[in-house]
Amino acid sequence: MVSAKTKVINPQGMHMRPAQVFVSAMKNMDCEVRVLYNGKSIDAKSIMRLMASCIKQGAEIEIQCNGAQEVEALKKAVELVESGLGDL
Amino acid sequence: MILQGIAASDGVGLGRAVCIREVSLDYSNVRYSGKEREKARLQEGIAEFERRTAAMAAQIRERVGEKESEILTGQIAMLADPFMRAQMEEAVESGSCVEAAADSVCTMYADMFAAVEDELMRQRATDIRDLRGRLLAILLGASDVDLSQLAPGSVLVARDLTPSMTVGLKKENIAAILTETGGRTSHSAILARALELPAVLSVPKALEFIKDGDGLIVDGGTGEVILNPDERTRREYLKRQEDFQAQRALLAVYRDRPTTDADGRLYRLYANIGSATEAKAALHAGAEGIGLFRTEFLFMNRTSLPDETVQYEAYRAVSHTMAGREVFIRTLDVGGDKAIDYLGMKPEDNPFLGHRAIRYCLDRPELYKVQLRALLRAGAEEKNIRIMLPLVSCVEEVRMARKLLEACKAELEAEKVPYDKNIALGVMIETPAAALIADLLAQESDFFSIGTNDLTQYTMAVDRGNAMVEKLYSVFQPAVLRSIRNVIEAAKKAGIPVGMCGEAAADPALIPLLMAWGLDEFSVSTASVLSSRACISRWHGSEAAKLAQETMGLSTAAGTEGYLRAAAEPA
Repeated sequence: MVSAKTKVINPQGMHMRPAQVFVSAMKNMDCEVRVLYNGKSIDAKSIMRLMASCIKQGAEIEIQCNGAQEVEALKKAVELVESGLGDL
Repeated sequence: MILQGIAASDGVGLGRAVCIREVSLDYSNVRYSGKEREKARLQEGIAEFERRTAAMAAQIRERVGEKESEILTGQIAMLADPFMRAQMEEAVESGSCVEAAADSVCTMYADMFAAVEDELMRQRATDIRDLRGRLLAILLGASDVDLSQLAPGSVLVARDLTPSMTVGLKKENIAAILTETGGRTSHSAILARALELPAVLSVPKALEFIKDGDGLIVDGGTGEVILNPDERTRREYLKRQEDFQAQRALLAVYRDRPTTDADGRLYRLYANIGSATEAKAALHAGAEGIGLFRTEFLFMNRTSLPDETVQYEAYRAVSHTMAGREVFIRTLDVGGDKAIDYLGMKPEDNPFLGHRAIRYCLDRPELYKVQLRALLRAGAEEKNIRIMLPLVSCVEEVRMARKLLEACKAELEAEKVPYDKNIALGVMIETPAAALIADLLAQESDFFSIGTNDLTQYTMAVDRGNAMVEKLYSVFQPAVLRSIRNVIEAAKKAGIPVGMCGEAAADPALIPLLMAWGLDEFSVSTASVLSSRACISRWHGSEAAKLAQETMGLSTAAGTEGYLRAAAEPA
């Protein structure tokens, strides 16, 4: 398993469109992807759970990937979050 | 007959009712057809949902805009959620028909979103309910409500307008929108404003009172709906509709202009808001900042105090929306007529002269500090938050508030939490006492904001709800006008900015007077931003000064108001 900490910088946080951007990049990765936030571990392939966890701008999150494509998935995930999830 | 609802989108619409009664989504007669068959039906249903929804999104994108279409593309993404699908499949495997599976899973998610703290995220519940309804309709073989073939002059009457219903909608055929549910931030309201259609929402039992073909007048400015009006009323509203449209066209040119008088002198024109979501509307309406953000909404409709995080997020959301623009946030203004159950405030003989606003907060420092800390933190990034103290009546109150603020800063410093070190702290001038010692208060405040509603009530010692004395309640009373002038002068002398956030700030009769005295900032309701900017632009400084001088020589409210109103009539 690999993991990294990062910060959500886009103004909307994990609202509908940013969450869509994130989930669609993760859904075909051959590994488990979880987002740790506010004491909860959220499956990052579920847009519903991701949105319902109300991750806001400025939130410190940890991303964990586990499986065949874990390194690739983690790199992509961090890159997306840090580039603002298409919401900058 | 007049029905009353929430005014959600300004304008006047006259037409014939078209009632939208929802198709039956009753699936109690559907029999379970076996695991494989039901799973296949689920797949087919979802595929059909995606196809129809994508087509609708494309139409909306073209007709309304990219942003509105995202509500629908979002529904496709939600239904593609592997967990949601797995839960539906599980339900089917354990013997539910697809309809029951879709119903229970969607309802579960809708309830989950309805319960989250984030105001914007809560609206996803509406999307999921719309998704549920349309998926069930597809599974049951019912057709979507088709609004593309409406006759011109139709007034839509519905329980709620869902995104999907509005797809084929031709703006030119719709006179107005009327619903039984929803508020100013609901989908129906946002859509109505985007299309510039008059809308009144939350009219109880509208579908029971109104039948197809009934004559309707919808006043989106007042929230009134007139059912089967007589000819005279109809003519009167037709005239109002014409005036409104002419006015709207005229004002549109002021939206992106700076606020200046006829000589080019700049003023600041801000908006008053009561919730975080209203900030966007204010910005869209052309407001240059927020002059009054009432924080009570955060404390109401709850059973306990909102913690620092909840408050911080609400304030920060507004701070971000208004990045680069000022946001004056009024600290908790409870008491008087605004009671909050869980605070356990005791009934008082004279609540308006009692333990309210700053008086209450200073006696509950543990509660007040939570709000001050949240404000300090929320201003850390944009540095645009200003803290405004309500109902101040003496200098000690400002000193005590500042002491608490400094204590909060020290705490945050020790905790290494980012905050705005130079946050401005100012006074709302709402009592005669504050107006009389404005020079003293100005030495201790970073700004003034005049709240005319309370200032008028306390200066005239009149309960505006009491019909026997309400005629005394007028901002045009010379006593009130002198108070306002005194406050502005004191602010000028001390070199601090002064604004006004009461209703009077948008009154075209009062605006030239305030300009002449040197008010820096006018804070008005979102709906009044453009008309106020237009009003300010008509006055030359010298004319306003002359008017002010003559007005202050008059000795009665009828005299001052009559004089100012006559001068305010656009030539």
